Amino acid sequence: MGKLDGKVAAITGGTRSIGRGIADAFVREGASVVINGRDEAKGQTAIDEIGAPDRIAFYAGDAAKQATCEGIVDFAIERFGKLDIMVLNSGGVLNTAPVFMMSDEEWNLEIDWNLNHVFWGMRKSLQHMIERNEGGRILVTSSVEGKLGKPGIPGYAATKHAVNGLVKAAAHEVGTMGITVNAILPGIIETDIVRTTGPDSAIAMGVGSYDKLIEMFTSESAIKKPNTVEQVAAVAVMLASDAARNMTGCMFPVDGGTMPY
Amino acid sequence: MQRGIRMGDVEGRVAVISGGTRGIGRAIAEAIVREGGTVVMSGRDAAKGERAVAEMNAGDRVMFVQADAKVREDCERLIDIAVERYGHIDILCNNAGGSTGNAPVVDLTDEAMQDALVWNLWSTMWCTRRALHYMIPQQWGRIINTSSVEGKCGKPGLSIYVTAKHAVNGFTKSCAQEVGAMGITVNALCAGAIETDMMMDAGPPAAESMGMAYEDLLAWFAKDAATKRLCDVEDVALVAMLLCSEAGAGITGSLISIDGGTAPY
Repeated sequence: MGKLDGKVAAITGGTRSIGRGIADAFVREGASVVINGRDEAKGQTAIDEIGAPDRIAFYAGDAAKQATCEGIVDFAIERFGKLDIMVLNSGGVLNTAPVFMMSDEEWNLEIDWNLNHVFWGMRKSLQHMIERNEGGRILVTSSVEGKLGKPGIPGYAATKHAVNGLVKAAAHEVGTMGITVNAILPGIIETDIVRTTGPDSAIAMGVGSYDKLIEMFTSESAIKKPNTVEQVAAVAVMLASDAARNMTGCMFPVDGGTMPY
Repeated sequence: MQRGIRMGDVEGRVAVISGGTRGIGRAIAEAIVREGGTVVMSGRDAAKGERAVAEMNAGDRVMFVQADAKVREDCERLIDIAVERYGHIDILCNNAGGSTGNAPVVDLTDEAMQDALVWNLWSTMWCTRRALHYMIPQQWGRIINTSSVEGKCGKPGLSIYVTAKHAVNGFTKSCAQEVGAMGITVNALCAGAIETDMMMDAGPPAAESMGMAYEDLLAWFAKDAATKRLCDVEDVALVAMLLCSEAGAGITGSLISIDGGTAPY
């Protein structure tokens, strides 16, 4: 018996990296899952790889757009009849830079991608969950940078801090309705996305190379190595389960001992 | 990618739980046994220990050691007995703790503060230090400290408990950094108020020290939570099992709130 038997989940950005790991784990635990991404081909590949064709669907769209964040909720309800678990996972940076070099375009993109996306998806999900009155789970993929603030990624740090505040406020709003709202704060994970954007980020952060970037993050942890997608997925399964009904407003760390609090 | 990691995978693991005969410790003990692990639990009362062993009905996979968490020799003996009996110790739950003689600081006795520090902090240090002697050579371990929402906050009239749990949280973070590269994680579970047997024993006098009725104390704790209710021992066991699993390898030095949304961080 799975921990999420009969549940319906939607995950923004679920075709690869952390979102994909969560999708794999949710399906394994018995849930039906809608994953999302911009690329139809990647979506189809993910569906084929995950298996369980009756319990997996792909919703194409850019998570930095309001229509996508709201549309995935409607799509999940239309496809599987309800939405129990919303994982607002998509996010990142495109052309990050120190504050004095940051473009308005990048700044706005990061706010839309990391913060507004969470707000849009959360609001739409809560409207469904509150009306349905059978509880719910909102999970947000935040970051250690939601508590820290590395140079060269000011937009990412600012938006992840903001997301953490949003999670705590929303948790108190719906705490008596059987709906929990939590954030997961991973440390550095060598995902596809990090491998793609890491080299440019390393330059923006002034550390020189991708390897140095990874080393900088891991050196700050107690375990002295990156975290893994599977570690985040295990926490997501736990927080999504019925058993976690009393965990809400939580900033759950998966960071190998990086953050001071 | 590694596939199929599940939380709660403790097959073959040996756990020591101080104060494991009832309350939070008992819930963790039952969860570990249910998931295939072996548990050595301690307590001061032999009769309660024997009853807990009988109720858990897990044969050779559960053992009780009569030991007082406030006594260093007992803490060290508890760890040694587990290793002698089962060959290794993989998981240590520093769960024993509490406080008596709660009072506003102006009226606080030295004895009450000393007792709270020994019960919560010194016992955690004694057991952890001893267990690390076994965990470091095997390069694997999970240390889980039962802390409290009061390890992050601070209610009036509970300063001895609040101080001791804050100290446990600091110890957790420091120890995690020391052994993080050795495959050993050290975390604290910051639970909200739970109406355990111990709460029912210690709650009324604590409430009195705070100038209120016991029911009002419980209501106060619930009011601070987003869920507006108390937590359960199973909530704490759920997170303990995640930390014990292989997937828990990436979580250390964490002060994890299990409090219905009470603590601000």
